[in-house]
Amino acid sequence: MSIADGLKAAALLFVAAIAQVSIFSQVHVFGGVPQVLLVTLVGVALLRGTIVGAVAGFFAGLVIDTATLGQLGLTSLVLTVAGYWIGRYGETTGRAAGRPSGHSPLGVGAASPSGRLGRHAPFLSVAVVTILYAFGALLVHFMLGERAPGGAVLESLVPTTVMNLVLTAPVYALVRLLLRPLERADFATEVQLLG
Amino acid sequence: MLAVLVLVALGLLTISFRSPTSGVLHDAQSYGASALRPFQVAAVRVARPFRDAYNYFDSLARAKSQNEKLRQMVRDYRAQALLNAAAVQQNNELQRLLRFETGPRYPQDFRPVNAAVLAFPSGAFGQQIVIDAGTSSGVHLNTPVVSADGLVGKVTQVGRSTSVVTLLTDPDSAVPARDLKTRVSGLIRHGQNGTLILDRVPKDQVVDKGDWIITRGTVDRRYPDEYPYGIPIGRVVAVGTSDIASFLTVQVQPLANIDSLDAVAALVPKHPRAKP
Repeated sequence: MSIADGLKAAALLFVAAIAQVSIFSQVHVFGGVPQVLLVTLVGVALLRGTIVGAVAGFFAGLVIDTATLGQLGLTSLVLTVAGYWIGRYGETTGRAAGRPSGHSPLGVGAASPSGRLGRHAPFLSVAVVTILYAFGALLVHFMLGERAPGGAVLESLVPTTVMNLVLTAPVYALVRLLLRPLERADFATEVQLLG
Repeated sequence: MLAVLVLVALGLLTISFRSPTSGVLHDAQSYGASALRPFQVAAVRVARPFRDAYNYFDSLARAKSQNEKLRQMVRDYRAQALLNAAAVQQNNELQRLLRFETGPRYPQDFRPVNAAVLAFPSGAFGQQIVIDAGTSSGVHLNTPVVSADGLVGKVTQVGRSTSVVTLLTDPDSAVPARDLKTRVSGLIRHGQNGTLILDRVPKDQVVDKGDWIITRGTVDRRYPDEYPYGIPIGRVVAVGTSDIASFLTVQVQPLANIDSLDAVAALVPKHPRAKP
C-alpha cells in the first residue's frame, strides 16, 4: 500500500468517523442508526486486506471514542477485530480464484472466476459485520459491567442492517474510486518498517 | 499486528475504565476532543440545511393538526397567566414575611452557556449527546442542560471544551420532579418509545392528563438538588394504575425534542457558592 493510498484511506475514515458522530448517529429509523463508518471500514478492509483493515479500525475507533468522550479503546477494540476479519475475507475470497470457498471467514465464497471480489461481497460483509459488531459491542459493554441491553440491540439490528446495506453501494463505490483494487500479490501481509 | 492493536486497545480501555474522569489519558482525550471540535462543527453545519429541510416538511405535515389544539391551549394559558401573576405577587410577600429560604431559582439565578450539539453517540447503550462547552465556559459535572422547550438532561462527563450530556431518556437518568398543578412529587425516568415516566407516585395521589411536570428543585438546603426548581420537563399524556402496583403509572411526553437537538444551554449558577 502506497503512502498516497494510506493518506486517502485515513482521510476517508476520518471524514466517515466525524460524519458518524455528528450526523448519522442522529438518524433514527425504527430504532436503528446507519453506521457509515462501519460501511467505509468494510470497503477499505475489503480492498486493502487484514493489516490495513485492523489499523484503520483501530484509529477510526480512537477518533470515535475521542470525539464522544467515551471509554477510550472500546470502539477501537471492536473495529480492529472487524477490520481485520473483513480484510481476511477480502484476501481469501476475491483473490483466491480456484481456491475452495471454505477458506473464507464468512464461510461462503465471494470469488468470481476472474479472481476479483464478487458483487455481493461488500453487501455480505456489511450485513455480517453489522450483526457481529452489535454483538461484539454488547459483549464488551457487558464485560465492563456497563449497561448491555440485549433486547434493544436485537430490536435495532434489522433496521440498522438494512440502512447499512442501503449505504453500502454508494460508500463502496466511493472507496473503490479512491483506492484502486489490488491484485493478491499487492496485499500487505506483514508490517514493513520504513527506512 | 492484530494482537498488538488489540492489546493496545485493551490497555487504553483498562486505563480509561479505571480513571474515567482524571489522569493523563483523560486529559489527552479532552485535548483530542478539542482538536476534533472544528471538524464536528463543520460536519454539523454541512448537515444543517438538510436537517432543516427535513424538519420543515415534517413540521408542516403536523402543523395543521396542532393548530386548533394550540389555540385552545393559548386561551387556557392566558387565563392561567393572570392567576399566576397574582399568585407570584402574593407568594413573594409571604416569603418575605416568613424569611423563607429557597435554593437558587430558575432562570433568575443561572446564566445560560449556549452550546451547539456536536455528536449524538446515542444508541442502545445510552442516550447521550456531546456539546461544545466545557470547564472553560464554567460547565461542571451535573450542570443541568436545557433546550428552548425544556429540560434535556445533565452533564455527566466534562472536558476542557466539550461535555457529555446524559439525556432524560437515558435509562440511568432520574430527575426529581413535581406536578405543577397538584404538586405531587415523583422521579422522572425513561419510558417506552421516547416518552418518560413519572415514577414513585403513590396511588392515593392525583395526577391528571395534561398536567405540566417541572423539576422539583431543592426542598431542603442541606440536601441540594442538581436541578433548580421550575424547569419544564413535559406534559402528562396518560395516567394508569393496577390493583397490585403501589404506584401510579404516569406517562410524560418530554417538551424538548430530544431526537433533534441543534443547540442547548447549560445552566451555570450565577453565584458559584449557590449550587442547586
